[in-house]
Amino acid sequence: MGIEHTSVPRWPADAPPFDPRARSATVLALCADAEPVAAAWAAAGGAAGVPVSSCTGDLEQALRHLDADMAGAVVGWRLLVAGPEAEVLRVRARATELGAVGSEVLAHVTGVPSRRVLCVHCDAVTETDEPVGGTVACAGCGHDLHLYHHVSRRLGAYLGFLTDAEERDPAGAVLETR
Amino acid sequence: MTTTSLVPAASELAQADPSPTVAVTGPGLLSLRVQAVETAADGVRTVTLTGADGGALPAHPPGSHLVLHCGGRRNAYSLTGCGTRPRSYTVSVLLLGDGQGGSRWVHGLQPGDHVLADRPRSAFAPVATARHHLLIAGGIGITPLLSHARAARRWQRSFELLYGYRPGAGAHLPELRELCGPRLLELPQLPDFLAAVEARLVASPVGTHVYACGPAAMLDAVLERADELGWPQERVHTERFSAADLDPGAPFRAVLRRSGRRVPVPSGVSLLTALEGAGVPVPNLCRQGVCGECRVGVLAGAPLHRDLFLSDEEKAAGDSVMCCVSRSEDPDLELDL
Amino acid sequence: MTPDLDDRLDLDARPLPRRVREFPFPFPTDSYRYSTNVEAAGAANPTAAGAWGASVLAVDEFYVGDATECAGLLAADPSRCQELPHMRPAVWDAVLYVLTQLERARPDYFRLEDLGEDRFRWTNRPLGLQQSFRYGDDSTLPTDPLRWLAPQVQDDLVLLDQREGALWADAGVVTAAADWSMKFDVGMSFLEVHGPVPRIHPERIISRAQDFLMRLQPGEEYRRTNWTMTVGRRLDVATETYPEWGPDRRLVLAQDLGARLHLRVEVQHLVRLPSSGAVLFLIRTYLLPLRDIAHVPQWRDRLAAVLDELPEDMADYKGLTRYRRAAADWLRAAGAP
Repeated sequence: MGIEHTSVPRWPADAPPFDPRARSATVLALCADAEPVAAAWAAAGGAAGVPVSSCTGDLEQALRHLDADMAGAVVGWRLLVAGPEAEVLRVRARATELGAVGSEVLAHVTGVPSRRVLCVHCDAVTETDEPVGGTVACAGCGHDLHLYHHVSRRLGAYLGFLTDAEERDPAGAVLETR
Repeated sequence: MTTTSLVPAASELAQADPSPTVAVTGPGLLSLRVQAVETAADGVRTVTLTGADGGALPAHPPGSHLVLHCGGRRNAYSLTGCGTRPRSYTVSVLLLGDGQGGSRWVHGLQPGDHVLADRPRSAFAPVATARHHLLIAGGIGITPLLSHARAARRWQRSFELLYGYRPGAGAHLPELRELCGPRLLELPQLPDFLAAVEARLVASPVGTHVYACGPAAMLDAVLERADELGWPQERVHTERFSAADLDPGAPFRAVLRRSGRRVPVPSGVSLLTALEGAGVPVPNLCRQGVCGECRVGVLAGAPLHRDLFLSDEEKAAGDSVMCCVSRSEDPDLELDL
Repeated sequence: MTPDLDDRLDLDARPLPRRVREFPFPFPTDSYRYSTNVEAAGAANPTAAGAWGASVLAVDEFYVGDATECAGLLAADPSRCQELPHMRPAVWDAVLYVLTQLERARPDYFRLEDLGEDRFRWTNRPLGLQQSFRYGDDSTLPTDPLRWLAPQVQDDLVLLDQREGALWADAGVVTAAADWSMKFDVGMSFLEVHGPVPRIHPERIISRAQDFLMRLQPGEEYRRTNWTMTVGRRLDVATETYPEWGPDRRLVLAQDLGARLHLRVEVQHLVRLPSSGAVLFLIRTYLLPLRDIAHVPQWRDRLAAVLDELPEDMADYKGLTRYRRAAADWLRAAGAP
């Protein structure tokens, strides 16, 4: 497309290195593909004498682990998280919500097997393997949504809106929700 | 609501004087009067200023500073109030030994004296998302942090204030004790101060931001130690006043190739204003160096770029200049006008 | 929803109605491209039909109708109002600023009495509203301050927090969004909010705009305009309600273009709020149908030229693709002898 979309995140191919200035770290692996990266981070931390708290698991487990670690962490702490884009965005959003600044969160995205799409009409979030620009059936209201190139870091989701709105008759009220 | 007194606008003063030596100041100056002075501690004078007409003063974020026009010099002093709805401005000024003039001038102020100042400028404001504010004050560096503490109380923010001062030189102590209660640590012994700072830098909860103000050596030490302890730079804020912030720029001369005219550009007056004052109109919009409208071709002389519009390559080429904010490295700057 | 205006202009009517005289026609030339088109606020901007912009807030004959519509929209969809937890001080700062500006714009309609010790009494005559409150004390207002304020001002409000070298859209109340969504965008950086806009990123327009905004000092006020077109006199064209207004882009081609197709102009005021340091965007939307545009020959011809020349990607982003040729044709026909 040749247009820079600065709300859609772009991920470098290589994982960022363990931050040599860290004094403590939480390392999260959100899928099997992420485990080698997480292990390398943990090893680097260990070699530097930095206490590392690791978790390999699904998103819910990772978020619980993160909450617990951040409750006791002191400045000098870093979060290193690896996994699919949708889960990494959620973890990063949670860390920010709890007070982390940008450089305290190091992320590696192993791939984008799915995207979360917020239906701006009914507020449901639909997980899909459609690409940006594709069409998704909303899990909430059932309508076809255009998967738009606009990402909310806070929600960890792409914007979806009615794809064929202009072809339809005008809706008199908010779309029916489930 | 009464407005503050403002001196006349630059447009009223834009006569092209062949060789001006006095800096012409722009609009937005505050005309203030000294309401009270007191000795706050050894060598520290606290001055309270009100609007010359007695009205409300411009509000400002915590940690802001006021640039006073100290008889030919311009010096910045931190405002101690929280800034929400000020009816007065209070600054505390340490008399500097080498007495260059600014602090000595302020120490000479008496109630009733008239003072000109720029509007408050903010360069050291608290971060709204901070979970905890660690305030570290050394000596006269207490002044902006008193402002921070007031704001933190008003908005019920978590904070702690470490105040290191030489015995007898602690300013604003009664106010601070009442305002901060147990959140204030008074540390008149240097080793205790250093130990307290070290302990906090080692073990502050994630979400803490640190704000430090004081002697340059103290700030450098805090920055260095915080860096060693893995503090992200976004969490560490220091207040230093640099001459560059207040620099009105050296005077120079704009030579207009096409008309043959020579337009003097005094210190403190933008090239755009000087050209307009000489009856040479230049298209302009933002007057802040960002929109690109006032671009003028440079035929000789090196421009001093201060804009946000030209790319690095364009600036290096030196063949155009944004005349609303940029100046000249050379005494003469030849323009395609 | 405010219905389409029913009256047709008498071709010989002089003076032109207020809505035309005060319309902020946004095109300085016959073609339009994005630029960092900021200028200082507060001075009247003359146009071919009159002038606009003498005050930061404009209160017009649609005030009560717009207030009712805003209140209705917020009641039906509270998510139009968003506020992240750290933004309450900025919200209060915005409330005081807006009430002050409303009184300044129309002292016959609005009164803000300062009762001392942060207490105020606010009177809004057109809405028959009186409210005593204490600055910063949420319990003294009947609802969230932003929600309380919104129907009383015809502008949308977006508040940006400055930290970590960027601006963050962390609060806002928006009931006249031109195809965007406050509930989706809340929490985004300034660059992210403008992510989907074509061309502005490689051209550094948006990063320059952010640099400019981050350098604003307390109290500074700037403005710029933005534009698109809307079918019907409809303020709420947020992405949420796209199913309601989207089809009109197709249906309008079979309707009276002169009456239904409106030029939609946003006057955005950009203000560094003085005590919180947040940047406030005030977004005021003006709608004028083509048949009113046609009564000002310079506007008629210029809008036709802009619509003809606008590149496809920009027309597409602005939602004009279906009808822009028809609109340009209509304007030219209106000008034919």
